[in-house]
Amino acid sequence: MGLWARIRRRLRPPRRLSFTREGRLVVVLAVGVGFAAINTGNNLLYLILGWLLSFIIASGILSEIVLKKLDVTRRPPPRVYAGEPFLMEVVIANQKPNRASFSIEVEDLQGKTPIDKRCYFLKIPAEKTQRTSYRHTYARRGLYTLTGYRIATKFPFALFRKSRDVDAPLEVLVYPARVTVQRPAPKTTSRGEATADRLGRRGEFHGLRERRSGDDRRDVHWKSSARTGRLLVREYEDELARKVVIGVDNALPEAVREAVKDGGLTPAQEAAVSAVERAISVAASLAASYLEVGWTVELCARGTHIPAGMGRIHEARIARALALLPYVGEEVAFAEIPKVVESVLVVPREVAAQGRPAATTVMDV
Amino acid sequence: MRFAVAHKTATYLMVGFAYLAMTTGGALSPMLSIAGFLAMVVSWWWEPPRIRFEKWQTAWTVASVFALVYAVLTAIVTGDYLGVGGQFLLYLIVAKSFNRRAARDWQQMYLLSFLMLVAGSVLNPDLAYGLCFLGFVISSTWALTLFHLRREMEDNLLVKHAADGGTHRVEVRRILDSRRIIGGRFFLGTGLLSFAVFLGAAAVFLALPRVGIGFFLKSRGGMTLAGFSDGVKLGGHGVIKNDSTVVMRVEIDKRYGGREAPEIHWRGVAFDHYSNGKWTRTMSAPSSDETSKLQVGPVVDRRYWWNGGKVASPSKIDELAEASVRQDVILDPLDSDVLFGASQPTIFEYQHVVRQRKPVGAFNDEMRLHHTGQIRYTVYSELAKPTPEQLRAASGPLPRNFGVYLMLGPEITDRTRALALQITASHSNNYDKAIAIQTWLKNNATYTLVLRDPGGQEAVDFFLFDRKQGHCEYFASAFAVLARAAGIPTRNVNGFLGGEWNEYQSYVAVRAGDAHSWDEVYFPGVGWVTFDPTPPADLDVLGRGGTGWRAKLGRFIDSLRFQWNKWVIEYDLSSQLALLRSIGHAIKGAAMAVKGAIVTAKDQIVEHWPFALPLALPLGWLIWRRVRRRGAADPLTAARGKHRTRSTVAEVYLSVAKSLAKAGVARDAATTPRELATRMTQRGEPAASDVGELTELYYAAEWGGRRDPAAEDKAMQLARAIRATLDAAKRAKR
Repeated sequence: MGLWARIRRRLRPPRRLSFTREGRLVVVLAVGVGFAAINTGNNLLYLILGWLLSFIIASGILSEIVLKKLDVTRRPPPRVYAGEPFLMEVVIANQKPNRASFSIEVEDLQGKTPIDKRCYFLKIPAEKTQRTSYRHTYARRGLYTLTGYRIATKFPFALFRKSRDVDAPLEVLVYPARVTVQRPAPKTTSRGEATADRLGRRGEFHGLRERRSGDDRRDVHWKSSARTGRLLVREYEDELARKVVIGVDNALPEAVREAVKDGGLTPAQEAAVSAVERAISVAASLAASYLEVGWTVELCARGTHIPAGMGRIHEARIARALALLPYVGEEVAFAEIPKVVESVLVVPREVAAQGRPAATTVMDV
Repeated sequence: MRFAVAHKTATYLMVGFAYLAMTTGGALSPMLSIAGFLAMVVSWWWEPPRIRFEKWQTAWTVASVFALVYAVLTAIVTGDYLGVGGQFLLYLIVAKSFNRRAARDWQQMYLLSFLMLVAGSVLNPDLAYGLCFLGFVISSTWALTLFHLRREMEDNLLVKHAADGGTHRVEVRRILDSRRIIGGRFFLGTGLLSFAVFLGAAAVFLALPRVGIGFFLKSRGGMTLAGFSDGVKLGGHGVIKNDSTVVMRVEIDKRYGGREAPEIHWRGVAFDHYSNGKWTRTMSAPSSDETSKLQVGPVVDRRYWWNGGKVASPSKIDELAEASVRQDVILDPLDSDVLFGASQPTIFEYQHVVRQRKPVGAFNDEMRLHHTGQIRYTVYSELAKPTPEQLRAASGPLPRNFGVYLMLGPEITDRTRALALQITASHSNNYDKAIAIQTWLKNNATYTLVLRDPGGQEAVDFFLFDRKQGHCEYFASAFAVLARAAGIPTRNVNGFLGGEWNEYQSYVAVRAGDAHSWDEVYFPGVGWVTFDPTPPADLDVLGRGGTGWRAKLGRFIDSLRFQWNKWVIEYDLSSQLALLRSIGHAIKGAAMAVKGAIVTAKDQIVEHWPFALPLALPLGWLIWRRVRRRGAADPLTAARGKHRTRSTVAEVYLSVAKSLAKAGVARDAATTPRELATRMTQRGEPAASDVGELTELYYAAEWGGRRDPAAEDKAMQLARAIRATLDAAKRAKR
């Protein structure tokens, strides 16, 4: 890299400088001493003025040095739920070979403004890494993009806060809020007839394998074990569990949708949005609850359909779909809910909409 | 070191240095200064758990109110606002040291120590201030850095988040007691930083233009030093040769000021009228013969003594200055506005004064300039004495007004007049007469510091006929009276004699105890000539300085003080210009030296090329190979060195990428162009579809392997469309 390019890179914004209360005081003192020096010709006042100015300059140089060669990594937890606090881990690495960095603050940026939390590192020794975390809560579900982070310091004299914005987009998917919800009593008796081609607790025999710690002793196939001299256990194919289709109505009138975009919601519109959000949270919690007890769950919403499945991966798929579920108009149709299986439709009480499908259970929340 | 202890130590050092900077000048009461210092020391241990601050709060409040009332009343009564302000500052810092509770108290201690430093700049212009200032700069760097870390720790670090529990505060004491946060490297690093700050302060100090309006407000009037008096009254002086305080430092060529050089009479005040044992100046005496304020350069005024001649042109005065002995004088405040110069000053240069505070009338060739503190000036003197033949041959009428130098009062006794005639009877010219009087005095009177009151007797008569012992003023007065009685125009002069030669900085340090009195005799056509009738063996009581280690150490400290005065206290616009000139000369000299070396090398090569070429070729080849290898060793550098030829579409894409970056859609290193385009589409950014299309063209052109003119045209169209969209979006945002 050429010298000129290096200089330009160093001088390039965004590097912000804001004076602290102490910094403003030092500037006022410097101006006062400067006036006094000029007025009286007292050279010792010039000397003090020189000290104050070089003090400010040294402060600027040193803060620049401590901000150099610092790499920041942010690690959100695997699941973030709306309304629940989570810890964002912040890892900072000082790449400088022989200089420690002191008094470093790291803030995540949303757009160009920092979020209300920051991490502080007192000392990061040379070529060392330190980690800490901040607690944060997202009120609403959705995909949030932290556009970057701001790294700042007031070192060494707290005269000003120097900061540098680093572009490092980080997407945080916030799942719908978890609520306590009772599974409705089953209204149908239908059960799955096919096998799911995956392991279950008590189904068709699938095969034998060596016993591992934690296996149920009742599953030991004693005959084969005796024959081979090793403890072997039976494995079963899972039966296609009981199936439920969960529907959630994500329809909102156009006026409300526009107001959500513009950010100017009336109390009534706010109530409608909250109701839809509550419905989505209930649907997510219900899906998780069904999947927890081994049901096969299918998700239907306006414009969104997640086919039937089970297990943790499927639960994540449904949660993701619900996290990103957009508000739509009532003209957008639901996917069809089969009548032979159990189905629960979660509808927001405050929002009336056409085209809701029939379901064995309707939860009005 | 524990963090809390390190912070406290650094803070106390900072406050201590500021305290010393304010108090060592002696402007505040020594008792008060010592008491305050001891109180500060005690306050080190005055903290919890030993002390409960709340218990003492009322006592401190009462003491503070009392101190404030006392300070206000004392300031009103005495009018010494600065001194009383200093005392009040002293109280405040002691009170604050005893009440260190929170971050705010530490902050106030720092502010107070800064104010003490500022107060010290007026109360204490001595070298001690400079040393305290250096200590303050270093300790303040430590103290303020540690204070910042401490406060940040208390504000930020003490909150700990736990994944499995709530947020809780960390024990502050544990961190403050930690020995791991700072160590020797920290102090070394910040020490180096403070040294850099000090150098920066010095550079800024030297570079700040001195455009002040009060060049002579250098100090608070300074102290009046004993040893020199603007008037002479016989019997009025006690022992004066015992004060070793340096009052004047004179930079002069070693030939004239060195240890082996003859002692110089530093001429100050001159008197024309003697009456009843007192020498005074009269208004009828010739005024100091000078041209008025020849301004040389923007910042220097110059005065020139006619010495009975005519007004000289500036170039003539320059020539005279070249031929004379130059003296750069730094004079400490005395109880007089007179300035000193060696023997017979001819030219006098000083800081240009826009408006003199007090018009000064000078007589008898005195140099006078109103000043209230230390002053720096330059004098040119003629030190070569005229030969005895010249003086014997000198004759002619006396200039106008010179009659005053022959006048004697009626109280001069007849036997004094008769003695004068008796001593000079056998001589025909004024020079031999003066020598005869001088010789007579040296042979018939002795030097003593023990004075006896002459009572009602005329002082010179008492000295010549009864006491026959006295100090320099008696000898000088007796000489002048006898000379005038013999018809020789004579005047009495007071100043300093000799001084201590400082070998470290090549200057003469003149002390208060070097104060001396002598005479000047006028010779028509030649001018005034110095005659010193005091016996030589007794002149130099303080001496020219010993050679022992204590004397050397004393001279070394004085040389530091001299540099301090020269480069800090008296640093002004002319010093600044001189410094800039010398820097300019140095740069020019270095450039000339480099140029000379190049020319010499070139000449050598041209002259000896048959020998130089066989040596230069292998050397050049070796250097080239080394450079090439170094370049090849770093593949990154090597790769960077080659410039890839980019396709037209790529150039267009890159320029569009710049426009996008300006519009806030920057692509970082980890994002591919296609990812950027996708992101823009997802976010519904303006021109996203065009960027997507251009990106595909870019991929095809960069990696497709062949040039497509149609694609280039399309890319340019897309670029125009994207820019137009971006501009429209920008306008809409506004």
